[in-house]
Amino acid sequence: MSKRNDISTPEGYFEDLRMRLSEIPAQPARVSPVRRLAPYAAIAASFLVAVMLGNFILGRTASPSADDDTWTYVSYLADALDPDGAALVDMYDEWDGLEEEEGLSAEDIVNYLVADGISVEHLNYLSYEEGF
Amino acid sequence: MDNAERLFNEIVKEYSERVYWHVRRFVNNHEDADDLVQEIFLKIWTALPSFRGEAQLFTWVYRIATNETLNWLRREKVRAALRFSSIDAEMERRIDSDPFFDGDAADRALSKAVAKLPEKQRQVFILRYYDEMPYEEMSAILGTSVGALKASYHIAQEKVRDTLGHENFIGTD
Repeated sequence: MSKRNDISTPEGYFEDLRMRLSEIPAQPARVSPVRRLAPYAAIAASFLVAVMLGNFILGRTASPSADDDTWTYVSYLADALDPDGAALVDMYDEWDGLEEEEGLSAEDIVNYLVADGISVEHLNYLSYEEGF
Repeated sequence: MDNAERLFNEIVKEYSERVYWHVRRFVNNHEDADDLVQEIFLKIWTALPSFRGEAQLFTWVYRIATNETLNWLRREKVRAALRFSSIDAEMERRIDSDPFFDGDAADRALSKAVAKLPEKQRQVFILRYYDEMPYEEMSAILGTSVGALKASYHIAQEKVRDTLGHENFIGTD
């Protein structure tokens, strides 16, 4: 016997419980929702792994837009400073591509242009216009 | 009626009440205990073909009951977390709102203290203190040595005493 003087059950509960439990063999076999969903969960999990793997691989091999941003900036400067712009563009092309790790900041370009003889006033004007 | 059904009905007749009281101590609520008992016996019916008599029937039934009860507790923990609550707070609420709780304030405090015990210690405490089960039977059900169970029960009692105050709980061996 167990200590159970602090808890009770409704009147006639255990007779009713035994009756309900004895009906279990007659019930149709239940497939648990977990079992039913297991194949779909497996497919979803595989898809997720493939997407994550793909993202990881692409992330390490694709070039970011740093190149594009810098190219746009250089092109703009080239147009602003030299309508022909060919010299600067050629200079850009001579660069050995932009390494993602190294990057090319606006400061790098400004330093180059200053070294090339552009006036500070003109640079300041461009800085103000572009907001950099 | 085939042999499996006959055996199942025997199990229902012999163990349904005992399983109910055991489960009730864990879930602290009559309605949930009723639901869980039905789940346990459905599991028993499903697993019956695989029962080879390697353990005593009683041990096998109780093992299923304790496993299903632990699974229920773990699900309740998740549900409580989703409601930004804790399982301890949830159990206290159940004890306070159970219309079939007939004990006094001390009994209520004891139930709440037991509900705060870690899973395994709670199992051992309920089996020993409330169900008054011999350690050898407990060992067969839980797959733990008698020595470890005694140690676990001792620690559980100490924790309950700490929660209630030493003068308010007189344990057992």
